[in-house]
Amino acid sequence: MTSDLTVSPAMQDYLEAILELAEKEGVVRVTDIAAKMGIAKASVTQAMSTLANLKLVKQERYGPIELTPAGRQEAAKIQRRHLLLYRFLVEILGVDARTAQKDACLIEHVVSPLTLARLAEYLEKETGIRHEEVGGINEGKEAVAMEALEAIDTRALSELKKGDRGRVVRIVAAGEIRRRLLDMGVVPGTEISVEGAAPLGDPIEVKVKGYHLSLRQKEAAAIFVERL
Amino acid sequence: MEAAAITKPEREKNIALVGNPNSGKTSIFNDLTGARQHVGNWPGVTVEKKEGKLIFQGQTYNIVDLPGTYSLGAYSEDELIARNFILFDKPDAVINVVDASNLERNLYLTIQLLEMGASVVVALNMLDEARARKIEINIPRLAQALGVPVVPTVATRGEGIKELVATVAKKVRETICQPLKVNYGSEIENELDKLEQIIKQYAKLAAKYPARWLAIKLLEDDMRLQEELQKEGARQVLDQVVKSKKQLNEILGEEVEAIIADRRYGFINGLVKEAVTRRQTLEERLTLSDKIDSIVTNRYLGLPIFLLAMWAVFQFTFKLGDPMIGWVESAFEGLTGLATGWLEALGAPQLLISFIADGIIGGLGSVLVFIPPIFLLFLAISLLEDSGYMARAAYIMDRLMHALGLHGKSFVPLLIGFGCNVPAIMATRTLENRKDRLITILINPLMSCTARLPVYVLFTGAFFTAKQGWVIFSLYLLGIVLAIIMGKIFKTFLFKGETAPFVMELPPYRLPTLKGTMIHMWERGSSFVRKAGTVIVGVVVLIWVLSNLPLGVAYASQESLIGRLGTILAPVFKPAGFGTWEAAVALVFGIVAKEVVVGTLGVLYGVEEDGLTAAIAQSWTPLSAYAFMVMTLIYIPCVAAIGAIRRETNSWGWTAFAIGYSLLLGWVMAVLVFQVGRILGVG
Repeated sequence: MTSDLTVSPAMQDYLEAILELAEKEGVVRVTDIAAKMGIAKASVTQAMSTLANLKLVKQERYGPIELTPAGRQEAAKIQRRHLLLYRFLVEILGVDARTAQKDACLIEHVVSPLTLARLAEYLEKETGIRHEEVGGINEGKEAVAMEALEAIDTRALSELKKGDRGRVVRIVAAGEIRRRLLDMGVVPGTEISVEGAAPLGDPIEVKVKGYHLSLRQKEAAAIFVERL
Repeated sequence: MEAAAITKPEREKNIALVGNPNSGKTSIFNDLTGARQHVGNWPGVTVEKKEGKLIFQGQTYNIVDLPGTYSLGAYSEDELIARNFILFDKPDAVINVVDASNLERNLYLTIQLLEMGASVVVALNMLDEARARKIEINIPRLAQALGVPVVPTVATRGEGIKELVATVAKKVRETICQPLKVNYGSEIENELDKLEQIIKQYAKLAAKYPARWLAIKLLEDDMRLQEELQKEGARQVLDQVVKSKKQLNEILGEEVEAIIADRRYGFINGLVKEAVTRRQTLEERLTLSDKIDSIVTNRYLGLPIFLLAMWAVFQFTFKLGDPMIGWVESAFEGLTGLATGWLEALGAPQLLISFIADGIIGGLGSVLVFIPPIFLLFLAISLLEDSGYMARAAYIMDRLMHALGLHGKSFVPLLIGFGCNVPAIMATRTLENRKDRLITILINPLMSCTARLPVYVLFTGAFFTAKQGWVIFSLYLLGIVLAIIMGKIFKTFLFKGETAPFVMELPPYRLPTLKGTMIHMWERGSSFVRKAGTVIVGVVVLIWVLSNLPLGVAYASQESLIGRLGTILAPVFKPAGFGTWEAAVALVFGIVAKEVVVGTLGVLYGVEEDGLTAAIAQSWTPLSAYAFMVMTLIYIPCVAAIGAIRRETNSWGWTAFAIGYSLLLGWVMAVLVFQVGRILGVG
């Protein structure tokens, strides 16, 4: 129950998407993930290498993506957590399916394991069904989930156009790049706007905390923002 | 207390100067120390160390200009140097230069300094710029909130420097300095407390580091400190770090380091809200800087403007520098003549006269001819950097340079290399990342400098009269292609690992100051003379000795030491088609300066420069001539470039590597050209 918490929320979203695609289509490609999550392929590729480093996915160069046993377990756990929250919202609080789907997507990243465990206990007491026995979520989940994602409009900074503004949600880079971004003031919650791109298209220029900063597209792809 | 302190002869006080890049730190340093500066290197690294003296009320202050940094982490050499200096050298006071027009990000460093318990005086610089941007700062309130003195300055005009010095003089007498405590929220604070308790049990650690600071850095995943703790065997601390991080990740669901950075910025946000009023929101106002940028980095105009700027720098450095080089040369010729005449009048032996005239004075001359281009180039670079254009140049070129495995800032040094590799190698200073810098230095000599042109002209004139231009062009192109290949190879095998992030500030355009530019120019020029000069004079003297010994031989004849060396080396160059002792000797002389190859061949063939073309046409073939030009292009950088490499890498190892790899590469390429040419039946 503890190991999944070393995986960042963005990576959790990726794992969840891969698992769902794997269950539905069998083979998972970068293109499929990008289409499903509504983000650029470059961002997906970047994320896959992060996940590969964590030994959660396997990918031959340009080949399909496969979850490792650890990755599958991880993804399943995330899915279960999502389902638990969804059930609680719908069955106990009487929230409509659409809202529940959207909220579950958001809560699943921040909720503590303790709260989840208590929720499961409560749910079991109220409904008489053990959460582990519940199967997959009902039909149409994906469509709703997609809509929910679009409603929040979280995307990589590299996908924003000149003049667009966003608020930093999370940074999926590791090591030196992550540290450097944090030091330069690109911290979650900060407003950031795209000022333009270099004549050759890369790097891009952004404005953050009142000053101008340039980043390579690859670095910008690691910064997820909520579009404003 | 104070009276007693004054009567005692006080030791020199150490003052560290810290600040973000582009905060005007260098201006403050220049204002404080004037011309009393000393430039060296931090031990073992390529980062430069600047120190200067300031005397105030009879007390001497040694001011150390620490590298410009945004933070005090462990990823870059610059940050580590700054941090270690403050922790271990314990300066009596730290002047933190803060750009008032960019307060939030600048205060991030201030907060870290205060967390370390440094005795800080804030120099709130560029207040004029802040005012122009309608940012009003309540200075007493800011000082109160930070708990340290804040002195307003405009360093470019020397405003506020006196007050700064007086404040520092007062600050160094304070002994107690309570570290600032940023509240990181109850969850993190709990873990910090636990960590602090355990750290305090290790006396050695507690004596070396402020406990809370160490605890914060460990939660921030500071690799250097973790390694150190491992070496110290502080198992319990490391175990607690793992436990704390796990615990925090569970509660907060986000990585701890992001939250810590966020809280720091949150703390700053509070400060700024209290002490700063903006009369106009920044978003509404397009600053002059933004307007300039909309043209200079424009999608269509950006590249042409950049190329124009580079062309201007190149012309300025070399077109303007060439006549000056001529003056230096004729001055030294005059000096040689004067010395020779004077010594002859004194009846000195011929050998001594030659040693002084050709060895010593000649050696000094070959150092000083580089002064005009170095001064001019650094004048231009200083203008580019201080105005803020250098950052744009890197921004514009990064796409291309990154594709070659380099950084946008590598472009300027490589371009300058076509003029002269010496100032070009010195210009790599603008690259912060050590790997990028070393690669740029190592491949720089492959840029065909102007000194190689006389060699090309001579040989193409003798053999390729019809296609002279194309042949010379092919050599320039070969250099570029080899530079790209070698750059990739070095990157793959020597400098493995993560690419350095490009994340770079684009500072607002500013008017450079005359004083700053002059000091910058003087620093570079004089440091070249002092550091590279010794290497250059040494090699020139050595070559003189080799050419004149044993006693009684004709200068550089086959019987001299250098001639014998040439005879021994000649077979090595046989596969490349120029296995004669004359060619080998010319190459040895070419180390002094590549254009010397031409003069040496003239001496060896016993002809004047006019007859040289004919003499060469007799003993060479077009193919061996081409192979020889390839060799001249690649093999061993000239001695001045070697001196510059030694100076800039601060390492004899890298210098030896630069010499060794180029020699090998030159030989391989020359042999390849000759052998493939022969098989194809050319020449």
